[in-house]
Amino acid sequence: MKLFAVISKSLKEQVRSYWVLLLTLSMGPFFIFVYYLIVESSKPQYDILFVNNDKGVVVNNNRVNHGERLINYFTIQLSDTAGIPFRVKETGDRNLGVKTLKEKHADALLTIPEMFSENVMAKTNSDSSNTEPVEFMGDLTNTSYLISAVWAGELLNDYMYQATGKQKMVSIAEIPLGSSGTLDDFNLVVPGILVVSLIMLMFTSSIAFVSEVENKTIMRLKLSGVTTLEFLGGIGVVQISVGVVSMLLTLLTAILLGFQYEGSLGILLLIAALTSMSIIAFSLVIASVTKSANEVLIVGNFPMFLFMFFTGAAFPLKSEALFTLAGYPINVQGLMTPVHAISALNKALVMNMSLLSILPEIIAILLLTLLYFIIGAMIFRHRHLKLA
Amino acid sequence: MIETEVMDNIIELKHLTRKFGDLIAVSDLSLEIKRKEIFGLLGPNGAGKTTTISMICGMLEPTEGSISFKGFGGKEPKSLIGYCPQENIFYPKLTCMEQLVFMGQMFGVNKITCLERAGQLLTLLGLSDKAEEMAVNLSGGMKRRLNICLALIHDPEILVLDEPEAGLDPQSRILVRDFIRRFGESKTVILTTHNMDEADRMAHRIAIIDYGKLLLLDTPHNLKRTIGEGDMLEIVPENSSGNDVTGFIDQVSALVPQINNNPHTLLFRHPDMLEIMPSIKRIADEMGFKIAEFKLRQNTLEDVFIHLTGRNLRP
Repeated sequence: MKLFAVISKSLKEQVRSYWVLLLTLSMGPFFIFVYYLIVESSKPQYDILFVNNDKGVVVNNNRVNHGERLINYFTIQLSDTAGIPFRVKETGDRNLGVKTLKEKHADALLTIPEMFSENVMAKTNSDSSNTEPVEFMGDLTNTSYLISAVWAGELLNDYMYQATGKQKMVSIAEIPLGSSGTLDDFNLVVPGILVVSLIMLMFTSSIAFVSEVENKTIMRLKLSGVTTLEFLGGIGVVQISVGVVSMLLTLLTAILLGFQYEGSLGILLLIAALTSMSIIAFSLVIASVTKSANEVLIVGNFPMFLFMFFTGAAFPLKSEALFTLAGYPINVQGLMTPVHAISALNKALVMNMSLLSILPEIIAILLLTLLYFIIGAMIFRHRHLKLA
Repeated sequence: MIETEVMDNIIELKHLTRKFGDLIAVSDLSLEIKRKEIFGLLGPNGAGKTTTISMICGMLEPTEGSISFKGFGGKEPKSLIGYCPQENIFYPKLTCMEQLVFMGQMFGVNKITCLERAGQLLTLLGLSDKAEEMAVNLSGGMKRRLNICLALIHDPEILVLDEPEAGLDPQSRILVRDFIRRFGESKTVILTTHNMDEADRMAHRIAIIDYGKLLLLDTPHNLKRTIGEGDMLEIVPENSSGNDVTGFIDQVSALVPQINNNPHTLLFRHPDMLEIMPSIKRIADEMGFKIAEFKLRQNTLEDVFIHLTGRNLRP
């Protein structure tokens, strides 16, 4: 009964501290919106510029220009390639093409030689390999050129195969991993930002705990004989609910802005609840070393910074594993639960993997939550709940 | 002033000592508090009053000695006591009713009983129209009264009040005083105060403590008698250059000795002060000693308090 009374009281206080609640709930959706704007404004576009010097050949009284056909082929093929934003342009003069390239109005310049049609015809009738090359020009340090060149080379080979009937030595088959084939940058950052929405719980939870100390109402609770577990549990239940609502709001915002949601909602809610618990347990550590909401806002900034920027929540982060445990990589950042939550969300939302496959992450979150809780509860009890 | 009836001891402090490092806040304090008694704890700042009641309430553990509660059938001491601290402690974002119900539930009282009791307490302490008001919006006096309600929501046997009238306007003071008196008819009240008038009017017995030690413990009437029988004459000399205060005191002392050492307010006590007042007046007139105030009164608790604890300010 005491637990329900603490839950009810904590819920009322949380709702009435609506500015803090509003900030916590809006942070996730806000980040999603910001990332959406960033990703949308920087969506890649690869421009391939052609200079067609091909003079063509006459076959059966018909003029054939394989250079024109090649450009046409590129235009059709690239417009059909899902998710690859290529654009084919043409210019009449190589110098003009180079200038366009330097001005970064194109990513790759392909110059078709004068004898291109003749070479194609010759290759059709024999195994001649003495052909004048198609010239690829671009900035080798620019990934846009590299991507454009790879695709252009592949398409050129395809065209040559079609035009000459000569078998390609190697053909490439591209298979996307999970739904990555249809995902853009925005889709890839969403799992991290879902965790950001939970990291913000650090403030509401710490303030909920420490306000009892700041208002000195902890003295009344001590006199009433309420147990540490009832007190912490009551506040914890409300904060977990805030966390789950926060994550769902963030997810909803992401879906409205085009996030392609895969995987089970049940798994998502499970990860949200477990991660919320871990953040609340960590908040207890913050509340243990502070005495007021102001101190929480100052002290809490440091762990929030670590949780946001060193776990891959706000930005993708790669780190070397120190060792592996039953095949699961362990690194220094792994001491922070968001690392495991993001990994679990990526597996569940992007790769559509099952609950069993995120078991290592769930175990890691549970163990760390227990560790945070033991440390937090011990210090909190010693500093704020124990008799003097 | 209310005389004490013969009552059972319900709280016994035996050789209670509390140290904070080298500081001895309470030293070898032994006393008993009776059932249905309003017990006052008087002392200057830092005398050890709050430390003593914190130990009684179970918020502080004694360094030495013991506290025993009698006649409650082994009930948990914390549930027997309702503590109203000097500082107003409440949940600012809960309404009066919500926090009373919440605190009642924390003491294990069911919600329906809490609602009933909260309604009664709010009415008794003049807050019934503020039941749905958030505590943060109440005036200072209302917050103080809410603080008392919070101490009583679980229907304790013993009410401990630390400076209950601090910060109250006269109307609220009367209301709270009446309430405490009524409560003291059926339960036990322990109160600490600096207000001698408050203690004199309400307490059945008063303990005066200083430097953590018990100096005197008795009824207000007996305490006042301990510093001497009779009435008190208070003379405030006019602040004129011709006033020979020392000469006046010397001459009056032949009739009645001065009992304080303050040249600005001269105090004299005598069992038959009315008889010798004309003689004192005559000495003043003959010396040309100018008097601003000439006041006859009975001993007060303040006299006792100052007599026992001195006039020096405490850190």
